[in-house]
Parts: sequence; structure tokens; C-alpha cells
Amino acid sequence: MFKWFRKKQNKQKQASPINTTWELLNVLAQSMDFEKQTFTNANSQQHFWMSYIVPLVDFEVVQKNILPFLLHSPIETLDDIKQMIPVEDIIITSNVTTVEEKMHEGYLFVQFNEFANKGALIKAQRNVIRNVSIPEVEFSVVGPKETFLESLEVNLHLLRKRIPCNHLTVKILKIGKLSKTKIAIIYLKGIADEENVNTVTQRISEIDFDQITDSSYIVQLISDNQNSPFPQLLDTERPDRVAAILAEGKVAIIVDGSPHALIGPTTLVEFFSSFEDYFLNWYIASFFRLIRLFSVAFSVLITPIYVATLSYHYELIPKDLLGTLITSRREIPFPPILEALFLELTIELLREAGARLPTKVGQTIGIVGGIVIGTASVEAGLTSNVLLILVALAALASFTTPVYKMGNTIRLMRFPFLLFAELWGLLGVVFCFCIFMGHLLQLTSLGRPFLEPIYPLRLTDLKDALIRLPFSNQSTRPQQLHPNQLFRFSRKKAKQKKDIDE
Amino acid sequence: MQAISERFKISPFLVFFIITDMQIGIGVLGYQRIIAKSAGYDAWISIIIAGIVGHIIIWMMYYILQKTGGNFVESNQRIFGKFIGNALNFILVLYYTALTISVLRTYIEVIQVWMFPELETWAFAAALMLLTIYIVLGGFRVVVGVCFFGIILPAYLIFMFAYTFEYANFRMLLPIFEHAVLDILKATKDMTLTILGFETLLIYYPFIKNPEQSKKWAHLAMLSTTLLYAVIAVITFAYFSEKQLQKHIWPTLSIWKTVEMPFIERFEYIGIANWTIVILPDMCLAIWCASRIMKQITNIRQKHSLVILATLCTIAASFIKTREDVNVLNDIVANIGFYFLYAFVPLMFTIIYVMHKVRKKA
Repeated sequence: MFKWFRKKQNKQKQASPINTTWELLNVLAQSMDFEKQTFTNANSQQHFWMSYIVPLVDFEVVQKNILPFLLHSPIETLDDIKQMIPVEDIIITSNVTTVEEKMHEGYLFVQFNEFANKGALIKAQRNVIRNVSIPEVEFSVVGPKETFLESLEVNLHLLRKRIPCNHLTVKILKIGKLSKTKIAIIYLKGIADEENVNTVTQRISEIDFDQITDSSYIVQLISDNQNSPFPQLLDTERPDRVAAILAEGKVAIIVDGSPHALIGPTTLVEFFSSFEDYFLNWYIASFFRLIRLFSVAFSVLITPIYVATLSYHYELIPKDLLGTLITSRREIPFPPILEALFLELTIELLREAGARLPTKVGQTIGIVGGIVIGTASVEAGLTSNVLLILVALAALASFTTPVYKMGNTIRLMRFPFLLFAELWGLLGVVFCFCIFMGHLLQLTSLGRPFLEPIYPLRLTDLKDALIRLPFSNQSTRPQQLHPNQLFRFSRKKAKQKKDIDE
Repeated sequence: MQAISERFKISPFLVFFIITDMQIGIGVLGYQRIIAKSAGYDAWISIIIAGIVGHIIIWMMYYILQKTGGNFVESNQRIFGKFIGNALNFILVLYYTALTISVLRTYIEVIQVWMFPELETWAFAAALMLLTIYIVLGGFRVVVGVCFFGIILPAYLIFMFAYTFEYANFRMLLPIFEHAVLDILKATKDMTLTILGFETLLIYYPFIKNPEQSKKWAHLAMLSTTLLYAVIAVITFAYFSEKQLQKHIWPTLSIWKTVEMPFIERFEYIGIANWTIVILPDMCLAIWCASRIMKQITNIRQKHSLVILATLCTIAASFIKTREDVNVLNDIVANIGFYFLYAFVPLMFTIIYVMHKVRKKA
């Protein structure tokens, strides 16, 4: 059977290679948005042919900066074009591939002889970009309010503005047979570990894919373990965050056409740190981080524990509490697992519906779901009050994860826990926990352990993990990254203590 | 044997976690009764003696490992010849497999007695072994990671012993030295199963970065488990009367029963469930050791022997049905462990010591 498939693949018609620009222009002309015009220079009476793909060309540039000079300046040879036309990028070439590539980027192709390969490529790109806007996914109350956009140039501009440093190095690769997406690998030379950069470069250049639409494609294609539910590269829409992690010695990846940058190598705890943590006092930031950690544990474990205790271990519950539970569950016809699954799925439905609908309708859904379904299902005797409270709290707690993708994983994680809780009670919950522990221990991000700094334990890296110590303690870069320069600033100076009245 | 790549090695301080976790294992749930059988409430002395002997054995093991270049399996072959050496190594494989079965089956027994009388042995054994296979497939670093969390996460359970202070009577320990020295030594021997586990060091020694530095961590681990055992024993002895203690197979669990919090009663349920995290690394490391030795003495890939051994453990565990059978198994493992630790290791030590003295003279 496989042979049969292979044969079919071989039969696939290979497009005959294009050897001359004439052929290329003919192929392009099959599409109606291609234009080829003839003009005559008034000075030298030289005829020339100008071809371009209409939607890619900015006509303002053409009319102001290109055509007047082409028509009225004394141009006799192709090299004169370079002299006369005030456009920064003009290429004289007879290479067909270059012509093809550049024309798809919005260059005009000017020939003096319709059949000659040689011609001038004049840049007249048209860029349609929205304006820099406020972060929506990673909103912060204080701090900068700009986000990345769908254009690589703008994104790099936003980054360069924040790191005016000649060590900031950008490597650009083109990936995707059809999309030919530009992918930039950004790092600070001399600070980031070359090995990390090489790993990223190698993995990206090995991608064999036709259409790269977004940076999340890249995450899935270059992750260490592609079958893991945990994201192994951090994505962010904040240029300030990327600038900060570059200074730490990490590597960032920006994909043209995607407003999300990728950060690696990353660790599990990083997914629970919001960038706003750095804008707040360290006590407050640490407190919020612990809250988030607790809320994740709560969100994943509370319904499974409810199911486990009510199905198997009601001895665990003290007498007074048991009374409350009995009252709330007295009229419920279902076992705890069905009750829990019903409510959890309802919450998932609400979330999914809210995410798919336009914002204004989405709000209504929230109200309908939250109030109507919740109250009604309790009154109808389908679910118990207590569980409704627990599930709602768990849902609320799961929204505290600052990274959207991690939030999704946590949404998913509670279902295996629920099933194991139904199977073996508390034992099942712990068993499922052990599975996740074993999995997380095996995960790596760009070859670096994912659970660092907890395991392998690196005490110095704990300064910015579960809690965030003050900036004066953050004088070293994370060891996990093996940075070339360990120190960010002089620790002594930051720690200097002044005497009274000094 | 090719050298182990730096990537797969662990930091020396992690030896602390491996040894403590391997030692604590399942034994700590019920060792108090066993040692009190012969030495009564003087048994805490036996724990300390066992600890001291343990320190000496660790010192010997490091001596052996340093003098033979760290590879215990190979040095067995070199000293006793290919045939006898490999036979000895194979006994080690059996021993580690038996250790896995013993931990697995005892834990399942605890669950069956305390939580789920109807739990199918084979089902839970298979589930745990599958998880073990998954973790061991990740390599030694992952196994050590599980050991690390196996100490860190359940560490809070120690505080639960504080709940007994209300009812404890520490005068029960008096008078000291009520029992004959021989009785105390017998209790020391009974401690074997509880204190067992640090002999895995012989196998994973090549996986330690700068093994010299791990020495202090190994001793520290021994010291802290000895102290932990002594403290728990003293608390248990103060809580139960001597006769009552003999009626509790797992005194530690009985102690947890006293824990009361506004939202939790019957704390031992949580304790037992949490114990999965403690015993999981024991099984992982033991079966890792067994499959690692297999890899060194035969041509079987470690992956394959791992799966075979795990299947074997599951089947063996499901065939052990009664309390008596579990006891017999534990006694066998304790006996092999006893002779391995206190006879074989000193023997090896003497041979290597003499060999080095002779070689130096010559």
C-alpha cells in the first residue's frame, strides 16, 4: 500500500523550471493582477518595459519617485537608473530567481529589452500595517502599552528602540515552500549562549513546511516534545518583555506576519510569572506569584478532590462539614463524577462560546451561563451548591495564569485528574500527579530542563522563580541559560549600605 | 563500557535525596513494631547502631568504588572471574527486582488494608509499573528528579507527628538498657529492611559528577534518615504502650489517625495517597539499577530489560496474595540485603584493601 502512495507522489507533475525572465513574466501574466507596461523616455527615446504585481506596489512611490525620473531623466543604460532614481534599493540583475523573489516583495522590474534577462528591480513596496496598539492578551495596568504587529520590520524596530546596542544580532531565515516566511532569530551576542542560538537556528532551518502562518506554527514545529500538552516556548506580544529576556541571555524568535514573539529556553515557572511582576514592588510581586501558583494547584485539584472524597473517602470530612455537604447533595440524582463532569463541561462550553463570539455578544453569554445555568442547575437538582462554588472558583483561578497557552493546558489537565479520582480516589489524584511530574521532569526547552530551577535545583536561579527578590539581588543572569556574561551589574554597588546621615 | 556523557550525570548533592528517599521508602510506615519486638523500647538504640554501621558501609562502598574506578559490576567480574562475577551480578539483578516487588506489593497491601479492600492487586501494580517504565525511559536524571520530589513534596508529613505530643508520654522509654545487648543487636538486624536502599550507590556511582564531593552528602543522608527514624521511633514509643504497639502493623499510619484539622479527619488517607510519591522513586531507582546491571552483563538493551523486569514485577506482585506471603517476601529481601550490605560489601572491601596493600609493596 505504501508503495502505491509513493508512486503517486512521484507522478506529481514537476513544474518546469523557469530559465528566462521572459518565461517568468509570462507565467506571472497568467494572473490578472499582473501588469506590464511600455513607456518611452522623453530624453533618450529609450523604450522600457515596466512589470509589477499590482497589489504589492505602492503607487504613490511609483508616481512620485520613479515614473517622473524614468520618463524625463537622461537615462540610456540600466546603470543610469541607479544614478537617477531616488529610491534606496535598486538592483540590476539578470538572475531569474532574484527577479522572481523581489517581484513578490513588491519591486518593479524595468527592462530595456523585452526579451533580455537583465533588468532593474526598483523597490516600491506597499505595506499595510495596523497601528501599534495596546496589549490585549498580556495586559498590564502599569508599564508600557505597545504590542508587536504583523510586520517583522516594525517588530524589529520596536525591539531595537529598546536595546540600542550593537550586540543585538538578528539572523533572518526564510521558511515555508509557499509562504517563504521571514523568521528572525534575535539575541545579544556575547551574552546569550551560542549553543542556544545554534539549537534554534538549526531547528528552524530544518523545518520542512509549506505555509507558516503564525509563530505558534513554529512553536509546534520546533518543540522538544511535540506530543506534550505543555508549551515549551513562551510566547509574548510585549516588546518590553522580549527586550528584558534578551538582556537575560535568552533567544527570541519573531515570525513575519505574527504579532507574537517566541522566547526560549523557558521554564515552567516562567509561565506563571507575568511581566507586570517586574513593575511592582518585590513583596507584592512575590505575593501575586504565590497566589498564581496556589490558584493553579487549586484549579486543577479541587474538583478531583471533591469527586474523590465524596465517592470514596467521606470519612475524611469532619462531622460539621459533612452536614453541609449532605444538605447540598441530598437531592442530586447523580454520582459526584457525573455532577462534576457536567459542571466542568458547562464551564468549558461557556469559555469556548465566549472565545468564539464577538466581544459584545460574549459578555451576554457570560451572564447567561454564569447566572442562569448555574442557578437553574442547582434549583433543578442537577448539581450541588458546593460543587458549583468549587467549579466557579476553579475556573476563576485558572484565569490567573498570565500566559494564555498555559491556561489552556491547565484547562485540559483537570480532566485526567477527574477520571483518576473517580477510579482510585485520592490515590488516583496522586497517581495522576505523579504522571505529570514524570512528564514534566522529562520535558526540555531547547535542550534545557523545563523544571529548572526546582529540578535540577539551582538556588541562585530561585531568586526569580516562585518569588521575585528585589532588583539588587538580581545581579546574575539565570544559570539555566549558561550565559557568556554571568553578571548583569555590580552586585557590590547595588548592595552597598550607607551609614546614618551619609 | 563507554564513559557516561556529562549530560546524563547528576550533581553530587542529589545523592542526598536519592539515599534518603530509597531508605525511607515503605519501611518507615511500620518499622517501629518490628524493632520493638526484640528490643522493646530500647530499640531506638538499635536504630542508632544501625545508622553507625550504615555510615561505615557507605565509607567502605566509597573506598571500593574509588579504588576500582567506579564500576562495581565490572570490578565484580574482574575480582571473581567472568563466570562467578556475572553470577553475583545476576543475583544483584534479582535482588533489585525483588526489592521493587517488595515495595510495590507492600504498598498495595497498605492500600488494601486502609483504603480500598477491593483494589485489584494486578491493576494497580500494572499502573504503577507502567508509570515506572515511563519515568525510567527518561533516563537516570529523571529518576533522580523523581527522588528529589519524593523527598521535597511529602516533607510536610513530618509535622503531622506533632499532633501526638498531646497524648505522648516520654517516660515510657525509661528505664534505658532494659534489654540485653544481643536483643538490641537483633533489633539492629531487623532494621535492615528499613535502612536498605543506599547500596544502589554502587550502581549509579558512575553517574555522579565529581563523585568525591558526593561523599559528604551520602553521609549526611545516612545521618538524617537515622535521626528521622530515631525521632519517629521515640515518638511512637511515647504514644503507644509496648503491648499496644505490637497490635499495629503500621504504627506510623495509626499515629496519623490522631491528626485533626477543621476540614480534614482521618489524615492517614492523605498520608497513604501521598506515599505514592515516596515509593515511586524507590521502584524507579531499583528497577533502573536492575536493568542497568543487565545492560552491563548481557547484550540486552536497557529499554528491553526494563520492560521485561517491570512485567515480571507486576506478575510477581499479583501472585502474592496474603499478609504472610508479603511478610515472607519482605523477609527474603531483608535477608539478601543484610548479607549483601554487611557481608558482601565488607568482603569486597577487604579484598580490594589487601590487593592495594600488596600492590603497593610489590
